[in-house]
Amino acid sequence: MIPFFPLAVAQSSTALIVFLIYTLAVFGLAAFSNYLMKSKSFLSEYFLGSRSLGVWAFALTFAATSASGGSFTGFPARIYSHGWILALWIASYMVVPICTMGFLGKRINQVARLSDAITVPDVIRDRFRSPGLGLLSVSLIVFFMSFNLVAQFKAGSKILITLLGDNDTFQQGVAWTQSITSGWGFLEGVAPDYFLCLSLFAVAVIAYTTYGGFHAVVWTDVMQGIVMVIGVVIMLPLALYQVGGTGQLASEFREMTPPKVGFVKVSSAVPLAQPQTLNARWVVLDSDGEDGMRLLRLNTPVVLPAQEEGETPATTQDIRYVELTTPIEIERQFQRLKEDRELVVFRNEIKSILEASLETSDSSDLRKASQDIEQIDTAILNNAPGMNLEFEILVEREDAYGADKPGVYAMGPGPSGPNLANTPEDELKKDEASLMTSLGFLPFSVAVSFFFMWAISGSGQPSNMVRLMAFNNAVTLKKSIFTVAMYYTLIYFPLVLIFCSARILLPGLELDPDSIMPRIAVELTANAGQAWLAGLLVAAPFAAIMSTVDSFLLMISSAVVRDIYQRNINPDASENRIKYMSYLTTLIIGVVAMAGAINPPRFLQDIIVYTGSGLSACFLGPIVFALYWPRMNRQGMYGGMLAGFAAHFSMYAAGMSINDSFFTPWRPMGIDPIVIGLLVSFVSTFAVASLTPPPEESLVDRYFRRGKALEESETH
Amino acid sequence: MSETPQEKLPDPQWDPVYLHARKEAMLILGVWFLALLWTLPVSYYNGFDSQIEIEQVTFIWGMPSWVFWGIGLPWMIANLITVWFCFCYFSADDLEPPESTMTPTEQESAGDA
Repeated sequence: MIPFFPLAVAQSSTALIVFLIYTLAVFGLAAFSNYLMKSKSFLSEYFLGSRSLGVWAFALTFAATSASGGSFTGFPARIYSHGWILALWIASYMVVPICTMGFLGKRINQVARLSDAITVPDVIRDRFRSPGLGLLSVSLIVFFMSFNLVAQFKAGSKILITLLGDNDTFQQGVAWTQSITSGWGFLEGVAPDYFLCLSLFAVAVIAYTTYGGFHAVVWTDVMQGIVMVIGVVIMLPLALYQVGGTGQLASEFREMTPPKVGFVKVSSAVPLAQPQTLNARWVVLDSDGEDGMRLLRLNTPVVLPAQEEGETPATTQDIRYVELTTPIEIERQFQRLKEDRELVVFRNEIKSILEASLETSDSSDLRKASQDIEQIDTAILNNAPGMNLEFEILVEREDAYGADKPGVYAMGPGPSGPNLANTPEDELKKDEASLMTSLGFLPFSVAVSFFFMWAISGSGQPSNMVRLMAFNNAVTLKKSIFTVAMYYTLIYFPLVLIFCSARILLPGLELDPDSIMPRIAVELTANAGQAWLAGLLVAAPFAAIMSTVDSFLLMISSAVVRDIYQRNINPDASENRIKYMSYLTTLIIGVVAMAGAINPPRFLQDIIVYTGSGLSACFLGPIVFALYWPRMNRQGMYGGMLAGFAAHFSMYAAGMSINDSFFTPWRPMGIDPIVIGLLVSFVSTFAVASLTPPPEESLVDRYFRRGKALEESETH
Repeated sequence: MSETPQEKLPDPQWDPVYLHARKEAMLILGVWFLALLWTLPVSYYNGFDSQIEIEQVTFIWGMPSWVFWGIGLPWMIANLITVWFCFCYFSADDLEPPESTMTPTEQESAGDA
C-alpha cells in the first residue's frame, strides 16, 4: 500500500499522456466533423448535426452532457463528506432518463421539424410567430449560460490541476507561466498553476468546439461517456474488495463519527537542517490524559524553512487539520502509518548506499536518484527521523449536526460536514445558512426539493431540449431512453458505494474533498498493482466537464448567430458569412468565458445550481404548455417565462438580505427556489393564457392537427 | 410520408403524434410521482435518525436497508418500467412534417412582428 505519496499518477506522467491523447483525439474528431459539414447546410449541421443522431450518439451525448463535471467531482466529494444520504439526494435519477427524454422528446422534435427550428429560441419564436418571444428566450439563455460557462471553466481547470499535480513537465510549465505573467497587473494574485491549466483547458475546448461544431461535440461526448462508465465499472469491485467486502463496509459505517477540524500551530523545537513541507502529513498527539491517541492530518501547504545554528526555530500557524474521531478508524490508520514508517527506514538505507556510491562516482543518474529519495515525504511528521516538532491546537470545530453520533453517515439527514472559516479569527455567522447546517445535510424537505430538481428541472434545460431536437426518428428516442437508463444505473448507484468505501480507504480528506476522485483512482489501482489504469480513471471527470462545456459554448453561440444575427439583423446573410460569424462567435464567447474564469466567483457549485434551476424555472412550464396545450398563446409564454424568472430570482435576492449571500437563497420551510419557481411559472403560464385571447386558429392547425397542417401550409 | 395525411385523417383530426406524445407524457408524470411516493416515505421512516436508531438499521450487501428498499429496489423497478415504456408502450410515430411547409420568415409575415 502506498497511501501517503504525492499522486502516483502525476509522478509517472500517465496523466499528462492521457491528457495529450485526449486532446489529440478530440481535435481529430473536430477535423472529421468539419470535413462532414462541407456537403451539408452549414447552420443546421453546425448547431444541430442535421437532425441525424442515431441511438448511441444521441444517448451518450445526452447522458454525458447531463452528467457534467459535478458527477465526478462535486458528487463524489459530497458522498465522501456526508455518506449514504447521497443515495437519497440522487434517488430521482431512477426516473431522470424517462422524464428528461420521454416527457418532451417526441413533441419538441416534431415541432422543431415542422418549423425547421435549429435552436430552442427558434422553436419558441416559430411556434407562436413572435420574434419578441425569440429574443426574450435568447436573453435568458445567454444570461444564465454565461454564468454557468465561467463556473465550468473553473471546474475544468481545477480538475486539470489535480490531474497533472506534481508532474515535472507541468511544474516546469508552471514556473515558466509565473515568469511570463508576473508583470501583468490583471493576473496579480492568480495562481500560476491555475492560470496554466485554465489556458490549456480553454484552448482545447474552444478550438475543437469552434472548428467542429455540433457533431464534434457529440462525438467527443460519446467518447467521454464511454470513459466515464468504464471508470466506474472498474472502480466498484476494486473498492469493495479493498475495503474488505460489504460486511466490513457495513460494520464501519455503524461506528463512524464525523472528524473534528481546526487550526494548529506548528513549531520546530530545534533548527531544521532542511525545509519541511507540512501539507498532507499525519501527526500523532497524546490524548490529554485519556486513553488512546489523537491522529491529525494537516491540510495546509506550508513550508517550514531551514535555519542555521543559533537562529530562532521556525514557527507557523493557521495550519488546517482534520482529526479522526472513530476509534476503529484511528487504529487502522495508525497501523498503515507504521507500515509506512518501515518504508522510511528502507528509504534511508537505499539513500546511504547511493551516497556511498556517489563518493566514488560522479554519475548524474545517481545524484538525481538520491535527490528524489530525499524529496519523498515521511508518513508521520513528528515521528520522522530528525524531527522535533511541537503542535498546539488553536481552533477546534465539530460538525453542526452529527458530531459524536455513531452511524450518522449511514442515516438521514447525514452529517452537516466540516464548516471551517479560512482564518482562526473568522467566526461562524449565526445566519440562516448555519442554521440549515445544524439540521444536517439533507433534511426531509430538501430531499423532496431534490426529487423535483433532477427529474423535473432536468426536463427544462435548453441544453437538453436542443439535443432532443437532434435525433433522427422516434425509434432512436425510445432506444436511447432505455440506453441512458442503463447508463445512469451503472454510474450513479455504484458511485455512492465507491465513495462510501473511500471514507474507509482514504480518511482525513474532509477539508479537500474535491480531490477524492483522482486520489481514490490512484489508491485503488496502485493497491491492485495496475497503476497505469489510474490515468484512464482520472480522465473520467475531465471528460465529464469537457462534454458539458462544449455543449454550453455551442448553445450560447447558436443563440447569438442564429437567433439574433440571422433572424433579426441580417436574414439574407450568405451561408459563408454565417459560417464565419459562427466560428468567430464561438471563439469570442469561449475567450470571454476564459477571461471571466481567471478570477472566478468562489462558490462554483452554487452557481451551477442557480443557473440550472433558473433556466428550468423560466422554460419548462411555458414549453410544456406550448407543446401540449392547443389553447396556449404568446401572452402565456411571456407570462410564464418572466414570472418563473422573477420568482426564482427574487428568492436568491432575498437570500442577499437574509443570509448576506446571493447564492444562499431564501428557502421557506426548506423548500428550494426551483420548486417555487416551477410552481409560479406553471400557474402563471396557465393563468395568463386563459385570461387572454386564444391563439390564431392557423397556429393550432399547424402544430396540433395533422390534416390541417398541410392544408394550412399549402394555402400560403 | 408517401401519402397525404388528408387521405387517412378526416378534418379536423388531432395530430396522432401530439395525442401519443401527450398520453406518454401523462404516464411519465405518473411514474415520477409513484417513484416519489415510494422513495421518500420509505427512506424517511426507515433511515432518518428522527425516526429510527442506528442500532435498528440493518445492512444489505453493504448498504443500509433503507437505501436498499427505499432507493435500490424502486430504481430496479423504474428500470423495468422504462423497458416496458420504451418497447411496449411508446409509439414509434413518424415525426417528419408534411412535405410542403412555410419557412419561418413566411410564418412571421403571417403573424405578429
